[in-house]
Amino acid sequence: MDNPEEGSSKVTALYPDPPPFWKDFTPENLARFDSVKQDYAEQQGIDIDTVVRIPDVPDDLIYLQPPAEPIDAKWRLFAEPQSLDDELQSLETAGIQRLADTGETDRDGKHIDRAFELKRLAKSMLLNFLELMGLMSHNPSHTQEKVQDLKTLLLNFHHFLNEYRPHQAREQLIQLMQDQLDSKRAETAAIRDVVDKAKRAVEGLGSMDIPAVEPTDGNENENNKSSNEMVQAPVAINGTHDAKDEGPYWGREGEGWTFLDADFA
Amino acid sequence: MEDRLTQLQDAVDQLANQFIACFYYIERHHDFETFGPNDKVPDKKAEQPDEVETLAAEEFQAGQIELARDLITKEQQIEYLISSLPGLDNSERDQEQSIRDLEEELKVAEAQRLEAVKEKEEVLLRLDQVLRGIRRY
Repeated sequence: MDNPEEGSSKVTALYPDPPPFWKDFTPENLARFDSVKQDYAEQQGIDIDTVVRIPDVPDDLIYLQPPAEPIDAKWRLFAEPQSLDDELQSLETAGIQRLADTGETDRDGKHIDRAFELKRLAKSMLLNFLELMGLMSHNPSHTQEKVQDLKTLLLNFHHFLNEYRPHQAREQLIQLMQDQLDSKRAETAAIRDVVDKAKRAVEGLGSMDIPAVEPTDGNENENNKSSNEMVQAPVAINGTHDAKDEGPYWGREGEGWTFLDADFA
Repeated sequence: MEDRLTQLQDAVDQLANQFIACFYYIERHHDFETFGPNDKVPDKKAEQPDEVETLAAEEFQAGQIELARDLITKEQQIEYLISSLPGLDNSERDQEQSIRDLEEELKVAEAQRLEAVKEKEEVLLRLDQVLRGIRRY
């Protein structure tokens, strides 16, 4: 690992080197870390997959586990402050006038109002554009405010829609679960259907009255439900049988059906 | 397909774009008018680039009508999308309730499915035995 070029590459490389701890990820260290993890899981009596962080890892393995969650749920990434709870910036903090009160809906609140407000905003946009056009033809120097109004309207519209996103996400989840339920039920029904058919076929075989059946054509007539194999078996024998074989054939046939009957019992 | 909210946001953005397009069209293709009898349209200077490409009155009018119609169509689209936003008449509590109900139903359905699969395997086994018994001869 310690090659002499390392020092110079820091100066000449186009991109900065990866953080130095990449060198800790050697196969030996990984194996050691896994065993430490295993021990910890056994100690705590929990499943190894649920272990995220192990307290008190040896110092040279410290980089092999992910860092802890920031305590105050805030951190900086590329000089931008980040926060664990991803909140929608409110219109007020963005310095935009709020045009309708749809932000605070309680848990039982329906969203009919929201649709109404959105429609109002959409109509206002059209009207403001018309006014802007009118102003442009009469007094172009006073149009700045109108443009600002339009901007506020657009931003408000987008904001209201973004506020609605969690609601839509839940709605989609419901839809997804409903679909899953439907497909599960369909699958169950299809399986039951096939099982019933198979059962009937097996029962058809079981209730077959062999001695009364003429070996030549009885099977086909009496037992349409039976599977092809069933029909073929005696036919294959019939094709080659002669008088001498008749006795042993029926003997074996009887044996076979005793065997079957035992299965159905 | 995108979800309704995204469609709606796209539609609003398109409406804003159409505003700009309309503005540009009028700004680019209008004709000169005088406010009073004393006004006069200045003569075009040869070296200056054209400020406007004046269109014939009917053509300009037709263009305006078309753009206006497009604006109205977009507006109607937006309103339609608003009306068809999912779950407008469900409150958060309703949603949570139906999610819980569905979860229960899913569990039941899964149990039934497993039962059916088990039954299927049993029947398969039995059928297999039957066929094996027959093939022996």
